[in-house]
Amino acid sequence: MRKVNEQASTGWPIAWCVLSIFFALIAYATPTKLLDGPHLMPTWPLMVLFLWANMRPRFVPPFIVFFVGLAQDLLTGAPMGVWALAYLAAISASRFRGEDGMPRDLGPIWIRFLMALAIAHALAFVAGSWANDQLADWYKLVLEFIASALTFPLIGHLVLRRRRGSRSGFIGG
Amino acid sequence: MANQRSGRHDGRGEIKFSPTIFVVLVFLSVILVAFDRPANRSPLFSSIRAGFTDLAAPVLEIAAQPIRFVKGIAPYFRRQGQLAEENARMQQDLMEARGWVELAGRLQDRIEVYEQALNVESEATGERIGAWTVADPDGPFVHARLIGRGQAAGVRDGFPVINVYGLVGRVTEAGQRSARVLLLTDLNSRVPVMADRSNARAILIGDNSDFPRLDYVGRNPDIQPGDRIVTSGDDGILPRGLPVGEAIATRDGQWRIRLYSDQAPIDFVWVWPYERVLAPEDEPVVDEAMAVNPDASVPDVPAPDATAPDATAPDASGADVSGGDASDVDASGVDVSGVTGSASSDEEGVSDAQGQ
Repeated sequence: MRKVNEQASTGWPIAWCVLSIFFALIAYATPTKLLDGPHLMPTWPLMVLFLWANMRPRFVPPFIVFFVGLAQDLLTGAPMGVWALAYLAAISASRFRGEDGMPRDLGPIWIRFLMALAIAHALAFVAGSWANDQLADWYKLVLEFIASALTFPLIGHLVLRRRRGSRSGFIGG
Repeated sequence: MANQRSGRHDGRGEIKFSPTIFVVLVFLSVILVAFDRPANRSPLFSSIRAGFTDLAAPVLEIAAQPIRFVKGIAPYFRRQGQLAEENARMQQDLMEARGWVELAGRLQDRIEVYEQALNVESEATGERIGAWTVADPDGPFVHARLIGRGQAAGVRDGFPVINVYGLVGRVTEAGQRSARVLLLTDLNSRVPVMADRSNARAILIGDNSDFPRLDYVGRNPDIQPGDRIVTSGDDGILPRGLPVGEAIATRDGQWRIRLYSDQAPIDFVWVWPYERVLAPEDEPVVDEAMAVNPDASVPDVPAPDATAPDATAPDASGADVSGGDASDVDASGVDVSGVTGSASSDEEGVSDAQGQ
């Protein structure tokens, strides 16, 4: 009976985790350029992976991080392995300690996310440049970095509020 | 998903990435990066990519619908007020266009006759394949578009892709139901082009900027700012004459191109089914006489010159191409006498038409 309850309490969060990663990948690859000018697309998959890896580390083992990165490579036409490598390094370096070890305040989470973002983009730049035998478009990477850094507080705030409101089920710990 | 095979508890309730699996995956990523280089991508990797995009294309297509709808709202309301004016202008344009269509038809007939007279094989192209863009990963590593048509619709690797204004790029991966189009601005894009006015050759090289540069133009290239740049077809992969853009001179003495295709978002495109011209070694011809008698250095019976047109008989279209008297008028009323003599005036006609 207890086992059944445990399964029920993790079932929905797992479904949310899978769906959020799926939609993050789709949102990243779908043509969303509504206006002319620079294409400001946040790195949604990294954002979602980072949040889940810190809220529910068991949901995001390394091979999930790897496959999300690989899927992003395939969807965007980047050389395979570039984002997989970048995400593996970024998530492993930026995780808070412990199961549900994420702080309750946005500030430290944001700073940790910026670290993950910087690692991911720096590694992607190096790996992408190596694969293409010429320097990757750093301007686009910087734009992505800025867009992600600016968008994260909003997403983080929503997630934290949801966690405070619902300590069990949904996405909370 | 929730299994702990690749994560482990360290005795303090913490979950860490398993170092072994982490290292293996990092190593695997590096291997993938090393072997999936765009310059020398193996067919296996290409097929994996094509298979994945085939799976993803329908989902992306659905995801793109609301975006397209939102994109269309503002232009819709903006254009309501302009419709009457635009309608009147378009009717006028249509009247003029009818004249041009008629001229184009006449010129097409004339070109066909010339091609027969010169025994030039015209470029055989099939019906253009229309496709919507379902993803635009304009990322830091690749400037490409994913389109929702693939091999099932006749799309093949290397086919040029155009929009209403000009060349967009070419197909680099064709899946069953989707294909990836490498844009002219991509780092890996190389397209032989020429100035329409002077036929000065160059290579258009993408460098991730919005204005790809012209390279290998020579020391004193006969290119002027504003020259219309078209594909030269020198690579045998792209057909000759596809409009690419307009030449612009930069302060550092380089030439760049303002792409025609950038005049509108690349939403709907056409794939041009152009069969590349194969090199002789790729298309070997078995000489029947040699096959029968390998020792014979010269065929016993000289083969009739299949390429030379019959000098006296009218050709299949009914046009006499024998060479220049008063009767040399084809069915369309085009005088085909003295091919060389009338070429210059025809060129003017063609370039006038292109200029429009």
